[in-house]
Amino acid sequence: MKEKFEVLTNKKWFSSLLWILLLIIAWEVGAFVVANTKRIPENVLPHLYQIIIAGFSTDKVTGDMTATQAVLSSAAQTLLRGFLGFVLGAAIGFVFALVMKMSGVLEKVLFPYLMLIQLIPVLGLAPIVLAITGDINVSRVIIAAILSFYPVATNTLAGFKSVEKEKYDLMFICAAKPHVIYTKVLIPAALPYFFTGLKIAAPMAVTASILVDTLQGDGGLGCLLSQSLKHAMSIYVFWLIVFFSAFVGILVGKVIGWIEYGVSPWKRRA
Amino acid sequence: MSEVRDIEIKTRELGVTFQDNAGRDVTALTGVNLEIYKGEFITLLGPSGCGKTTLLRSIADLQKPTTGDVHIQGMTPKEVRLQQKFGFVFQQPVLFDWRTVKKNVELPMEIMGYSKGERSDRADEMLEMVGLKDFANHYPNQLSGGMQQRANIARAFGLDPDILLMDEPFSALDEFTKEKLHEDLLRIWRATNKTILFVTHNIQEGVFLSDRVCVLSPHPGRLSAIVDIDIERPRTLEVKESSYFNELVTKVRNSFEGGSV
Repeated sequence: MKEKFEVLTNKKWFSSLLWILLLIIAWEVGAFVVANTKRIPENVLPHLYQIIIAGFSTDKVTGDMTATQAVLSSAAQTLLRGFLGFVLGAAIGFVFALVMKMSGVLEKVLFPYLMLIQLIPVLGLAPIVLAITGDINVSRVIIAAILSFYPVATNTLAGFKSVEKEKYDLMFICAAKPHVIYTKVLIPAALPYFFTGLKIAAPMAVTASILVDTLQGDGGLGCLLSQSLKHAMSIYVFWLIVFFSAFVGILVGKVIGWIEYGVSPWKRRA
Repeated sequence: MSEVRDIEIKTRELGVTFQDNAGRDVTALTGVNLEIYKGEFITLLGPSGCGKTTLLRSIADLQKPTTGDVHIQGMTPKEVRLQQKFGFVFQQPVLFDWRTVKKNVELPMEIMGYSKGERSDRADEMLEMVGLKDFANHYPNQLSGGMQQRANIARAFGLDPDILLMDEPFSALDEFTKEKLHEDLLRIWRATNKTILFVTHNIQEGVFLSDRVCVLSPHPGRLSAIVDIDIERPRTLEVKESSYFNELVTKVRNSFEGGSV
């Protein structure tokens, strides 16, 4: 019996299930407490079944859409902007890491600026970016890019730096040209680090896109979210968005993991 | 010996001085005059800090000499390196995780611009030679330490280098694996007729493998003796039990300068 339990606990799905169960229990305990103490409990913490009912409800929350339809239709544009910003940020992050690896001077000059940009709160950054670009949608993409690029740049740079001295010595003995060292040694060595950066950056890009939606109107999850919080529509729209973004965040992490798995055959056979 | 032998590597008053963290000069190596013949198996033997690795790296162009010079086939180490005539085996296998064993062996050939077919054929041949044929499509993290070092050796031989430089290649391996690799290395050396420079701090290992053992002593690092190892070849592990082998081991041990180390 005990051994059987040990086998079970070693399974990955088992720990995931346990984790989800604990989360549900904690949520529901909280919801019960809130239901008995607050005047409008659904504004603080509704029961999970209430959120699920809201998700499947056919009641219209806006002119012609149910809550789920409203969330999904807004999600499309927000996620597209987030995705564009993420790809842009990841690409720029990789290039920055490469440039900083190639030149120690550039690394010393650039790195403090990168950290500085990271320190400015998104809500402070947004008006500046908007003033520069003059277009709210472009600036939303750029903000997602700014948040994505830092983890990608720092992780990729760490990957480049992880290459041992012996590997350089070996390349030196082979009389390898610098570009060969980059393509055959440094970039493949940095790849797992690059993916780590992507995994950190992706949920940040999603969160940032939702946040910057709230700055101006014309659609997006963030707009919907703030309308819901201001009680311009059902509060359950807010809760649906919370669950939807968490789901997207987890899914994106998984997808990046699968891509990494796909391009790194050596990790499969260990 | 009456036959005239070609000198492959010649060092003249070779010296290397480093600066330590406090900015003081530390003499790693001084006044090394050494002639190495073509096809010879030479061991550089000594305790840590005697400059044996520094000597090897100076020959490989990985270290610039402070004084004196190195000539290899009448050229500088740099010229020889640029012609890709060196093979180098490090203490660690230095394999690339993301490449299969075979692709690891092919890497120097890729850099040198061998055609795909040629690379593949040659890598197969090298893997056969080191006994890793069945592991060609494995990744390094699937191999034992001994197998990784075999792959490393296969890679060094892949380019068909004139000179093979080995920096304590077996020191991280267990005794059984090490003895097996000793025999294999001698077999491969005999078949390929390379000049091998082998760095070790293990006296038995040096005596068993070499034609000559160069004994280096520390503080400052210098060449203190060269001992001829005239044990008949091919050698098998039984050689180690002979009294002559042990005589030579004692002779090498006694030629260290600077007392007990």
